[in-house]
Amino acid sequence: MRRIETSIESVKTDIGHFYRADQHHFSVMNAVDLGEKIEVQWFFCDYAQPYETIAFCAQITPDVEIPSIRDIVSSAWVAEAELVDLADIKIEGTPKGFVLETDSEIGPLRKKK
Amino acid sequence: MAKQYEIPVGAQHISLLEPLHFKFTTENEKIVGTTANLFYVHRGIEKACCSKFKFRQVSFVVGRVCGLCSISHATAYSQVAEKLIKIEIPRRAKYLRMLVIELDRIHSHLLCLSHVAENSGFEALFMRTMQYREPFMELLEAVCGNRIQYDFSIVGGVARDLKSAVSRMILERLKRFKPQLDELVDIYQNNWSLSLKNKGAGAITKEDAMRLNVVGPFARAAGLEIDVRNETEDLLPWKETGFKIVTETAGDAYARNLLRLREINVSMHIIENIINGLPESALITETKAFPDGEAVARLEAPRGELFYYAKGNKTQILERLKIKAPTFSNIPAMVEGFRENEYGSVPAIIASYDPCLSCTAR
Repeated sequence: MRRIETSIESVKTDIGHFYRADQHHFSVMNAVDLGEKIEVQWFFCDYAQPYETIAFCAQITPDVEIPSIRDIVSSAWVAEAELVDLADIKIEGTPKGFVLETDSEIGPLRKKK
Repeated sequence: MAKQYEIPVGAQHISLLEPLHFKFTTENEKIVGTTANLFYVHRGIEKACCSKFKFRQVSFVVGRVCGLCSISHATAYSQVAEKLIKIEIPRRAKYLRMLVIELDRIHSHLLCLSHVAENSGFEALFMRTMQYREPFMELLEAVCGNRIQYDFSIVGGVARDLKSAVSRMILERLKRFKPQLDELVDIYQNNWSLSLKNKGAGAITKEDAMRLNVVGPFARAAGLEIDVRNETEDLLPWKETGFKIVTETAGDAYARNLLRLREINVSMHIIENIINGLPESALITETKAFPDGEAVARLEAPRGELFYYAKGNKTQILERLKIKAPTFSNIPAMVEGFRENEYGSVPAIIASYDPCLSCTAR
């Protein structure tokens, strides 16, 4: 797994420069609760050699809204909707309620304070 | 413009095996729009794996994510955990993992094919396909001790060895199955009315498969060469077993049927090669190390790329475990694949997608 460190301001530009639909496969998004911050990860794999797994990683504070990458990777809406519900983070244009009911526990994957 | 109607299908419906809900917008019989709700069974497994269970117990927990591809989940998790504790598993354990994964793929593909037949209105073919699947369930029980939820792959290796009597039983049943597979190929390929129902149904192009990041047989039936067995030689030596990627081009339900039948043939070839060349070694690598750092593991489950991410913190409890099931990746294409199809084709199309919501919602 190759990590590419990025920031919330430049992640969309970085992924836009990197991603080619005929070369890269978007796997999933992930969020890791680091305490004060959350690390958001976007995973891609190659269709051909070297078959590397590439992770764009950006650390955010929970109140920040993340830009959506749907206009670059059209299938990313499912991964974004999942993270909004399970990690209780804000993603541009993504409402809650796709994975969990709106009255469910908020952000079950976040650590309890 | 024709009058539009909204038709809900699911969460409980005669043609659905899983709790999923589609809302189709139709003009006369033609589908012009689809929305989906696929998360009725969220069980909080990722959370449980990072709070309730020690990392060595997690392979048993994730084996319960899905009844059909239990071995894929347990193996993918074991691989990612082995990366975190930095161990190499014994060679025999690698081959035994591949053996059970391929037996599992055969029974899963036959189950999918049987449901496509059933949802296309062919009860007799459904029964015939399920009849041919049953010996593989018995083989899995003989190898692993369970028909489903095998608890076979564990962190460090595998839990059971393969007895020589079971090896003989597998080879004998594969030999018996070969003409049965030919019979199924003939029916799924050449039966006029089944072809009529499946040809063109739920079709996506290779370009759509790429654009929507489709995985597994769904992608390969559209001509997209994506198969994790082609990529991860460091974890399991697939190419040594005679693995060859299979693709079709039409991208419809008919092509998905043929692709799965051809993949069963490849799986049989892999299983025979594994049994005939099974190396001698221990079954497990013992270590007292704790997981540290982060890692990913990818594995080709029957429905496509299964993705595991794990992060350790030098304790018994993982910091984070992320599971991405193949159906999760295929949701956008599943929604788009219905467009311009007849509403009457919906049951067969859904079955040909082979969705697993137990994995997806986990």
